[in-house]
Amino acid sequence: MSSVSRKAAVATALAAILLAMPGCEREARRFDKAPVAPDARARAGALASFTAGPPGRGLQERAAAGGYDERSAWTLAQGKRWYRWFNCIGCHAQGGGGSGPALMDAGWTYGKTPGDIFTTLMDGRPNGMPAFRGRIPEEQAWQIVAYVRSLSGLVPSDAETNRGDELHGAEPEELREPARPEDKR
Amino acid sequence: MNDALDAAGPQAAWIARLWWISLWLCVAVFIGVMAALGWALWRSHRAAAADGNAPVRGDRALRVLVASATLLSSVLLVGLLEASVLTDRALGRLPRGDALSIRVTAHQWWWEMVYEDARADRVFATANELVIPVGRPVVVTLEADDVIHSFWVPNLHGKKDLIPGRSTTIEFRADRAGRFVGRCAEFCGLQHAFMAYDVVALPPDRYAQWADHERTSAPEPRAAEAVRGRELFLTGSCMLCHAVQGTSAQGRRGPDLTHFASRSHIGAGSIANSPQALARWIEDPQKLKPGANMPSHFLPPDDLAALVAYLETLT
Amino acid sequence: MAACAIAQAALVAASPGDWPMAAHDDANTRYSPLAEITVSNVARLRPAWTFSTSTDKGEEGAPIVADRAMFVATAFPNRVLAFDLSGSGPRLLWTFDPKANPGARGVACCDVVNRGAVYADGRLFFCTLDNQVLALDARTGRELWRRSLGEFATGQSMTMAPIVVRDKLLVGNDGDDFGVRGFIAALDVATGAERWRAWSTGPDADVRIGPGFAPFYAGDRGKDLGVSTWPPQAWRIGGGTVNGWLSYDAQLDLVYHGTGSPAPRNPVQRPGDNKWTSTLFARRPDSGEAVWAYQTSPHDRHRYDGGNESVLVDLAIGGRTRHVLLHPDRNGYVYVMDRATGELLSADPYVLVTTSHGVDPASGALRYDPGKDPGLDRVAREICPGSAGAKNWQPSAWSPRTGLLYLPHQNLCEDAALYEVGHVSGTPYLGTQARMHRAPGAPRGELAAWDPVARRKAWTAREAFPVWSGALATAGDLVFYGTMDGWFKAVDARNGKELWKFRTVSGIVGQPVSFTAGDGHQCIAVLAGVGGWAGLVVSNDLDTRDGTAAGGFVEAMKDLPAATSRGGMLYVFRLP
Repeated sequence: MSSVSRKAAVATALAAILLAMPGCEREARRFDKAPVAPDARARAGALASFTAGPPGRGLQERAAAGGYDERSAWTLAQGKRWYRWFNCIGCHAQGGGGSGPALMDAGWTYGKTPGDIFTTLMDGRPNGMPAFRGRIPEEQAWQIVAYVRSLSGLVPSDAETNRGDELHGAEPEELREPARPEDKR
Repeated sequence: MNDALDAAGPQAAWIARLWWISLWLCVAVFIGVMAALGWALWRSHRAAAADGNAPVRGDRALRVLVASATLLSSVLLVGLLEASVLTDRALGRLPRGDALSIRVTAHQWWWEMVYEDARADRVFATANELVIPVGRPVVVTLEADDVIHSFWVPNLHGKKDLIPGRSTTIEFRADRAGRFVGRCAEFCGLQHAFMAYDVVALPPDRYAQWADHERTSAPEPRAAEAVRGRELFLTGSCMLCHAVQGTSAQGRRGPDLTHFASRSHIGAGSIANSPQALARWIEDPQKLKPGANMPSHFLPPDDLAALVAYLETLT
Repeated sequence: MAACAIAQAALVAASPGDWPMAAHDDANTRYSPLAEITVSNVARLRPAWTFSTSTDKGEEGAPIVADRAMFVATAFPNRVLAFDLSGSGPRLLWTFDPKANPGARGVACCDVVNRGAVYADGRLFFCTLDNQVLALDARTGRELWRRSLGEFATGQSMTMAPIVVRDKLLVGNDGDDFGVRGFIAALDVATGAERWRAWSTGPDADVRIGPGFAPFYAGDRGKDLGVSTWPPQAWRIGGGTVNGWLSYDAQLDLVYHGTGSPAPRNPVQRPGDNKWTSTLFARRPDSGEAVWAYQTSPHDRHRYDGGNESVLVDLAIGGRTRHVLLHPDRNGYVYVMDRATGELLSADPYVLVTTSHGVDPASGALRYDPGKDPGLDRVAREICPGSAGAKNWQPSAWSPRTGLLYLPHQNLCEDAALYEVGHVSGTPYLGTQARMHRAPGAPRGELAAWDPVARRKAWTAREAFPVWSGALATAGDLVFYGTMDGWFKAVDARNGKELWKFRTVSGIVGQPVSFTAGDGHQCIAVLAGVGGWAGLVVSNDLDTRDGTAAGGFVEAMKDLPAATSRGGMLYVFRLP
């Protein structure tokens, strides 16, 4: 190999490595406690039973501070795990709904921003969504929020989860199209 | 002592025996081969030193030697095969009369044990510990919840995989009392190395006592701090994943804690069980077992102390 | 040979032109003795008047007619509409809004339905979704009393149609899918005070099993079976709710009811027979004491439930008159049982059944096929009937003239798999995922005419969708039923020939009734309003791309949204 082409090859390789490196950041996992302490309301008033609560003011400011990142495949995979563990399937199935509304379609009764969904999860909603405040830790709740958004294709598709191991219901999240602008409420 | 050669039951004894036979056979063959190699090197060195062009002596004798060595190797290999077949057959022929039936489900990264019984109200669940009676065969049904794990108690038997979507069994018997360690033997994720369980073989009457105790619900806490700890347990996030029989906590995503205080380890062998270790574990399991599915908690110190006090009553 | 049905004694409504309870009479025959509308003139039947219920959820109720008035209890918000029938058109007498808590909608497994009110002695009684039982003055709509029987935050709701026996109102709860412990209770009709409550699981004292308990089969005998057939303490969250039909035999003084399916739906987590879920009970109405019980589906592994109706008839079997109950169970068999003793006379399949091989006549036990048991992430396929059952809540009707039991039902099989589930009060306690599909070689829905003496179908009417409505039989030899795509039909009770149909504004899942209008003419009334578990895909606007939605029903009902839409309307038909 001539000296020029060898240098070109090395330069290309270096460039490729440098370009690929930022991708590692997205999947970097933190194994220590979240740097932000949770909202005091998350602890106070933890309910003895799961009563559907009145609409909350929203904890939208938590989204950025709490480390919410819906571009991370691990976040979405953990959200999918909690979705099964905490019985979301019982009312919402694999996104199609049941006694609860469908989560994979374009309709959002209470809003589709991460803060809206977090409020729905934490404070419940008047028509029967139970309040999980004080039950599901905030970090896990944000992971569920990210996964719920992925059910209708609202997160980057390269981070979305793929086919689950359970009974096949809907096509995998990674194949779901995001809602069209004219569909949004 | 986690030793596959320290067999505590017939299954492990057969495996250990096969291992020793293979070892000594292979040692003998190895010594023979090394000796022959050494002799060949020494001879050729001597021949080359004496006369560079002299032909190799004893061509026919050498051929006989090689042929008989080959024949001997084949015989030994067949012998090993025979030993292996006999061992396998013996492993599958453990008498199973009056076997204790346990269903083990492997999760990332802990073990769920359900002791089955013909009478439904004598069924009980525990986690990360396998207590068995001495002298009675144990049939363990193996299932996995998420990925492939492997069940391995070296002192009692070999490895058997737990594969999601399949149900399989492993049978063994402990012939002497003692404490052993079981491990996960198939890489299953970040904390595969910290997925151990205590295996305790007890004399039959002590086992029966233990089983009867496991069937009881958690006792009512008496100290005010423990009562408060139970309140925190039931109104917080603990009950979402854990179960304590006799309370409204019926989660199944983490180990059953009904008799947690009597276990020797926390977190599937991560640390030894003690109140101080428990406090550290509850506050930040990620520090002790990074990647575990139990989240960190932000508890005021007296809340944490109350929770620990309650969990310590769960003997 | 046609069955010779011997007339029931004193099992008719007080007045032949009334319909005072959802099932028409204590025997649950749903048979109207009115014969003005016949096979020859039904083709001329046309709507007389309609009234919107102002709801758009499943209307599974029966319009109640008594004292020249009609009372309709709607789906949530469970309003009651009262109409004056003395004139020729509808005149609203009064409406009543119980102010039910909308949070209860979150714990309604199978749509926010209400299966009907009951009228007795000038009072109207009904339940609301959020566990209130109310008594209203039938003339004025004034609330007489209100009693709360539980908290919806625990997962409990109420959907059933109560009955009145003497001075007691008998009601039951709903919520098997949420791990709610089931019960049936008796409230005083005058004050609403609770007189007794019999639980479906737990120690004998709770289940009201005492010295007078004499189950026919050995498998149902023993002490505290409601505890010993469960893992320790599991019976407290074991289900068995009494959300189905109640019937009453005045001569034997026995109330018959079924209990729901055990919780969690995942059977591996609850080894044992799980008594007394999926069980038929005969109880004394004054004390609630159990006289006999028979568990139709021990260790119920497919959510079969025991709550379907027990229709009380007298049949000539084996050369003599037997006082029997006909119980078309969700597990696919029509049970004919001696209603005095609980002895099983016959149990024959009325759909394709792969989950069991019949009922053993000696022990009464259901012979399950273990090959159809799902496992942890291991799919069991062609489970027939599926978890919707061969016939779900939708009630059958009996005609003493033809001796046939008219079964509105479905032919659905399913694939199912399990997952480990924890109980979190107020959230679903299931542990199974399923996908339903049409049974091979059968239509999705059917109205079958079952001959209980000959033990086979006399005829069937095939339908494209599950027939989720109730059936009505009349003395004019007609059977009325509705389809989920909105057709209200009349067929000949003797041979199933379709004689008349009318397209309503929404799919029909309600119970048709017949009554006499103020001018003495016969009318037929039914509520249209698609929903219920089978119609959730439309009433809850579910996404058809997920076949496991609504417990797997969506996979089998993907074409329903194109065939009908939501809406609630009361229809009254008569001859011109």
